[in-house]
Amino acid sequence: MVAEGTSGGKAQELLDHLKNQIVACDMEGSIAAARQVVDARIDPIWAMKYAIGEAARIVGEKFDAGDYYLPHLVMAGDAMAAVGEVFEKVLPQDRTTAKKVVVIGTVEGDMHSVGKNIVAMMLKAGGFTVYDLGVDVKSSAFIAKAKEVRADIIALSSLLTTTLPYQREVIEDLKAQGIRDRFKILIGGGPVTPEWAERIGADGLGKDAVEGLKVAKALVGME
Amino acid sequence: MISLLEIARRSQEGPKVTDRDWEMGLFQKMKALAEKYQIRYPADGSWFNHDPSLVDRAFEAALEFLIDRGIFCVSTGRIIQLTEAEIRTALREAPRQILMGEGRDQRVFRQQKIEGPGPLNFCPGHHSPFTEELAPLVVQNFAQIPRTDFLEGFNFSSVGGYEIVGTPMEAYASRRQLAWMREGIAQAGRPGLAIVYYPLNTRPAAMLAGLDPIHGLRPTDGILISALPDVKVESDMLAAALVYEEYGAFKISGSFAIAGGFCGGLEGAVIEGIVKPIAAMIVYRVSLQYTGVEHTSNLSSLKITLQPYNWARSLVNQVLNTKTPIICMAWVIPTSGPGTETNLLETAIRSIEAPINGANLYAPRHSRARMNAGQTPLEAQWALEVSDATIRAGWNREKAGEVLWRIAERLKDRPPEEGFPIQECYDLVNHRPRPAYQDLYGRVKEELSRLGLPLKDGP
Repeated sequence: MVAEGTSGGKAQELLDHLKNQIVACDMEGSIAAARQVVDARIDPIWAMKYAIGEAARIVGEKFDAGDYYLPHLVMAGDAMAAVGEVFEKVLPQDRTTAKKVVVIGTVEGDMHSVGKNIVAMMLKAGGFTVYDLGVDVKSSAFIAKAKEVRADIIALSSLLTTTLPYQREVIEDLKAQGIRDRFKILIGGGPVTPEWAERIGADGLGKDAVEGLKVAKALVGME
Repeated sequence: MISLLEIARRSQEGPKVTDRDWEMGLFQKMKALAEKYQIRYPADGSWFNHDPSLVDRAFEAALEFLIDRGIFCVSTGRIIQLTEAEIRTALREAPRQILMGEGRDQRVFRQQKIEGPGPLNFCPGHHSPFTEELAPLVVQNFAQIPRTDFLEGFNFSSVGGYEIVGTPMEAYASRRQLAWMREGIAQAGRPGLAIVYYPLNTRPAAMLAGLDPIHGLRPTDGILISALPDVKVESDMLAAALVYEEYGAFKISGSFAIAGGFCGGLEGAVIEGIVKPIAAMIVYRVSLQYTGVEHTSNLSSLKITLQPYNWARSLVNQVLNTKTPIICMAWVIPTSGPGTETNLLETAIRSIEAPINGANLYAPRHSRARMNAGQTPLEAQWALEVSDATIRAGWNREKAGEVLWRIAERLKDRPPEEGFPIQECYDLVNHRPRPAYQDLYGRVKEELSRLGLPLKDGP
């Protein structure tokens, strides 16, 4: 951690304050705290790794423990994104961090969103840039968006047995276009099993949101 | 009551809002209402709600939500707004009992009283995936349970060697599901038993393909048309509701709230648990609803979640049974699979709660059911046995709560067990549990008898 002109103790204090503002889901407080970190000339890369990373871990644990709910994940994710923007502005060009990108949605013919929403918010809180396409998403829409935003992962949710084949369809369409290797495919949902994931050639399966985040990070080499 | 055509119009013309704004607005509103109406878990060791004033306040909170926010149609991105007069008229005019089935299997399904005398109405099974070669035999086994009032369909992934994908196959598979149901109930000697279509997909082709009094759904049968979480409805389901309303079939909705979602925590889930059934009743004309509060971890079979969600479930059902005409069902969804001790203990808990909460019994099955491994007839008969014993004992909330805490102690810190496929724990040909499962059932029955549940011999 580099903090020009700021003592180590003071720097830690500012970073902890920033972390706590994010955990408290306070958008304005988080932005103000981020600006204080910037003013104190604390290394923004370190600040993001520590404050946002730690905040994401704590928020995830609170959700898992039942103390936080889906809206908290949304608000914390928004706060993290806003803080990220504050730091990105002061990063030298050669040190800008490229976040890993996920395109997520519930597959065609399926209107269920609860599980997908939780995963999307966990991924956002976990440091990914997330594009949530909603429900009843056609394969072509997944692929088009993934290409547009240069996604690292396409995450496919399915809660009906009869919509599982649309997860396979996305993979088949990627192969047909010769771009299967450009994206990692992460699948999830009630009827999804490890056998299904293997059968269709998915890269990973998350049986719940916490595991989904872990698997997503592993797929893209994030710690 | 406001007509379905008017509902359809409002779903097309109501104010537009994004999904995100609806969801976050729902959270903020639920939080504010919980505060305004002092909806709070007392944490006093009570299993059930004992505060009648809280029943009144929770109902008012739910009414205020519906009047102030309305219902969100995800298909059009518009809000279906309702006036207080329209909501109160709907609550006044909706039926408290419905007729289903034909001939000697005609049944009256009714709203129950809190701590009431019962007997409970009963759907023993399905809403669970089974492969096509087992289907009619499974249906027959469940239909043979004498107290069965209706039987729900099931999910499957292929038919005749074809994977079910796309609208044509979904429509065809829907007809097959219902044909197998009709075959199974006939083999059980109950051709008039009401069956309920379980949607393989919610697109109109799949929802309507089974309308066929000869081979599929009769006007005396039913269909599952569920409201979505976060007080959302869909145009396709509304279309199906319109058609079935004319056809005559009754409708069921899964209307429980999910704590941890956009409704927030426990208190928000209580409010949504009341709002959602009222919304489903008005928008889809649903007659039966499985109601209450669940937690996301329970639904995902991650951990056995009990209090305070049992308290929340009791409060929701108390409101619905005393303030509305909604006919409640207790969805018995253990986190453990069939053939396991934890499944039988979790099922017992829900089945003791059901008569105390004024809820009929509905389809015991593993909360994250795998193919052919969601349920067997034994759990259904066990649920009935336990709830009948509760009614016979004349328990009130206090007494039932004492026994429930003792059973809960047996589940403390235990992880869910995956369970076994139906063929491994139940002999479908000879219609009885396999010996090992029968032994397990006997041991659990004896244990619960020692804990205070007055079970008879049998089945």
